[in-house]
Amino acid sequence: MGKIWAVARNTFVSSMRMKIAIVSMLLLIVLLPILSLTSTGDGTAIGRIQSFISYGLGLVSFLLSVLTIIVSCYTLSYDIKYKQIYTVVTKPIRRFELIIGKVLGVALLDLLLLVVFSSVIYTITIQMPRFTKTDEAGLARLNNEFFTARAALKMNIDEQAAENRVLEAYNELAKTGRLDESHKKEDVLSELRDAEKFSRRSAEPGGMILWEFEGVKPFDVNENIFIRFKFNASQEPPDKNLYGVWYVGDYRQLKSGQPRMQTPIRNIPRKDVINTLREFEVPADVVAADGYLAVVFYNEPMNETTVIFPMDNGFEVLYKVGSFSDNFLRAVIVIFARLIFLAALGVSLSTWLGFPVAILCCFTVFFMGVINGFVVQSFNYLGQNLAIVYQYTIKPMIWLLPKFDENYNINRYIIDARLIKLSFLALAVGVLMIKSLILLLAGFLIFAKRELAKVII
Amino acid sequence: MADRNGQFAVETFSLTKIFTDWWGRSRVIAVDNLNLKVRNNEVFGLLGPNGSGKTTVLKMLLGLLHPTRGKAVVLGGDGRNPKISAKIGFLPEESYLYPYLSARETLDFYGRLFGLNSKLRASRVEALLDMVGLSGMANRPIGTFSKGMARRIGLAQALINDPQLLILDEPTSGLDPIGTRQIKDLIVELARRGKTVLMCSHLLADAEEVCDRVAILYGGLVQKEGSIADLLERKDKTQITTDVLSDRTIEQIRRIVEKDGGEFEAKAPMQGLESFFIDIVRQAQREKRPTSGAVNRMDGSAAERVAAVSDVLDRLVAAKVEPVKSAEPQKTVESIELESAKDVLSRLTRDKQKSIEPPSQQTEKQRQDEQKPKDVGKELLDKLVDDRSEDDKNG
Repeated sequence: MGKIWAVARNTFVSSMRMKIAIVSMLLLIVLLPILSLTSTGDGTAIGRIQSFISYGLGLVSFLLSVLTIIVSCYTLSYDIKYKQIYTVVTKPIRRFELIIGKVLGVALLDLLLLVVFSSVIYTITIQMPRFTKTDEAGLARLNNEFFTARAALKMNIDEQAAENRVLEAYNELAKTGRLDESHKKEDVLSELRDAEKFSRRSAEPGGMILWEFEGVKPFDVNENIFIRFKFNASQEPPDKNLYGVWYVGDYRQLKSGQPRMQTPIRNIPRKDVINTLREFEVPADVVAADGYLAVVFYNEPMNETTVIFPMDNGFEVLYKVGSFSDNFLRAVIVIFARLIFLAALGVSLSTWLGFPVAILCCFTVFFMGVINGFVVQSFNYLGQNLAIVYQYTIKPMIWLLPKFDENYNINRYIIDARLIKLSFLALAVGVLMIKSLILLLAGFLIFAKRELAKVII
Repeated sequence: MADRNGQFAVETFSLTKIFTDWWGRSRVIAVDNLNLKVRNNEVFGLLGPNGSGKTTVLKMLLGLLHPTRGKAVVLGGDGRNPKISAKIGFLPEESYLYPYLSARETLDFYGRLFGLNSKLRASRVEALLDMVGLSGMANRPIGTFSKGMARRIGLAQALINDPQLLILDEPTSGLDPIGTRQIKDLIVELARRGKTVLMCSHLLADAEEVCDRVAILYGGLVQKEGSIADLLERKDKTQITTDVLSDRTIEQIRRIVEKDGGEFEAKAPMQGLESFFIDIVRQAQREKRPTSGAVNRMDGSAAERVAAVSDVLDRLVAAKVEPVKSAEPQKTVESIELESAKDVLSRLTRDKQKSIEPPSQQTEKQRQDEQKPKDVGKELLDKLVDDRSEDDKNG
């Protein structure tokens, strides 16, 4: 361990004295305070702070990723290029210890810089409300919608029940002889499935949508839960506003016809602009003791249009389950795990590639991580024609790519004050660590066999 | 030198290295079927012109290159095994050091790689910095050092583990004459302490001065191998070196030599450029002229310089090390010359029955002689001339 630590220390000290590290630090030191002054968001206090933390965390994460890639590719490839490696590997250190030491050194650099700059962001964020003009309502909104950590329940569709309904509908069509025989059964079923899914997130004028959730455990029943939604209209209304009534509570009480309600059912009439994320709060006492919660949206007939909630971000129930500080810390841990992955990638690649090629590969992997969803979709589409080949060649390599987008876009969690669950944290960090280990193992194998003084003539 | 434990420090068996091109086709035979045996406790020189395969051999011994054929055994094992490499000190052909680290950090780093504890590490780092004359620049980044200064740190890192086997690739390359002298003193002192030194060089004068045995490589093949004395001794000539003699004395010696049927030539010897240079620097140091370069204490005789090196080595091993008793006394160029001179003198004075103690009985005296060779030579000659003068007077 002493030898690994010696290499790590050497890597850390050398990196800290490199111009790239100093430039990154200066950039962040200058840019972060400027960002806090220039970020305005949508003009509200919460918008301004959300905008700052989004750019701030994004900038720190991006610059440290770039720095990690450069340093990790540089540290071993330059040792080999400028032959310092001769005086190191001829000492009693095993080559895998050298690689671990290098990664550890870069990780130490990342840890130090991340701690410093995330502390700066945290401090500025916490202090920003003091220097932002806002009223009581604005402050309350900040506390409820930003300086907190909320669990999010998304619209869920019971796949099995939906499939049963699709089959019932198909049989009904067949019985009544309304099936078009020119269409294949699979095509008809596919259309029915789409229609079923659409029906679960759309309401005709005078119709309604019911969402049911279980296991809802608010942090404090005296606080509020939040309904966040975005809807569209099949025919856009002239003023782009839609009327609706939201019913929130234990829907089962109505079904069973109980004379007395155990928990209240709140009804909230609202008028909201279409195609924009909206949020309203409801007292948390609407949640049943067993954690059941139902939300109903009633589409007012006066709208004269079908209301549609988009699949990905059309509807969410949010409720407080933790603190902003904890959530921020978890976000920083995820960023750190990403940096370790990039460090392992850089060092592993430079066991057999020169600096320019290694850094090119690293940046490619990094940007593919940023658009991972698109990459996976594209390759899955291409792979349909090469099923077996794809399964055993490209697919494992695609899996090795990191995911920095969609659910793994950690900024979104902080901006929306959405809890980064411990299970999600463990999964995100664990998967990145496993991928890092695989890369390092490949690096060990290559480096152990490599003839470091080899000359190609 | 004696081969302790019946084991060689370095042994190669048909070691061959062929460099290839991108397509794996053999292009250059760098080392061809090398069977090298370096005994324990000897200074072995691999000599040869540029590209003769010297460095390639060293790289194969250390695992930096893989042999195409054959095998290399270092200290009884594989040079890549940490247990073996813990006993090796290596100075590559250039000082490949980390430019962002200071001299002290550099040595501390290498000390850590050997697993030395912090106390031992600190004392060795200071001792070595002192030895290479860079104590005053210990906190300066290596990147700002001159080539020679970096070379000194390179040498220091090779000694940080008090190695049993020191592998030096062109050890004096890039060094000033003082540094070169110091390395040569160091190599001699290390050998005296029972260490093995394998060095490769194309500076033949340096090798001649310190090596017990050499192998001359050309085209990856050993052309000649043997001890310096065996390889270089000229059996048809005798050389005498002494202080200034009067014309009369020279004439007397000429007569004796010519009577013996030999050819005689007397002229003032040239001072070596190395010793001349060291004298100049010593003078400048006495005058305390400022310098931003390496500072070595050059005041003192050769024997005192060797003692200074010995002192640093003592500090390196933390405790005084008993010198390993060699089977033969350490030979230097001076001592070899002295022995030859004694033989000549014996022959010169045979007629006058002025016998000189036989070499086998004067080991202690010889050791003293080695320290003051010129004085003793003068004394013997003076004595010889005085006897002659008395004869002349009597005659």
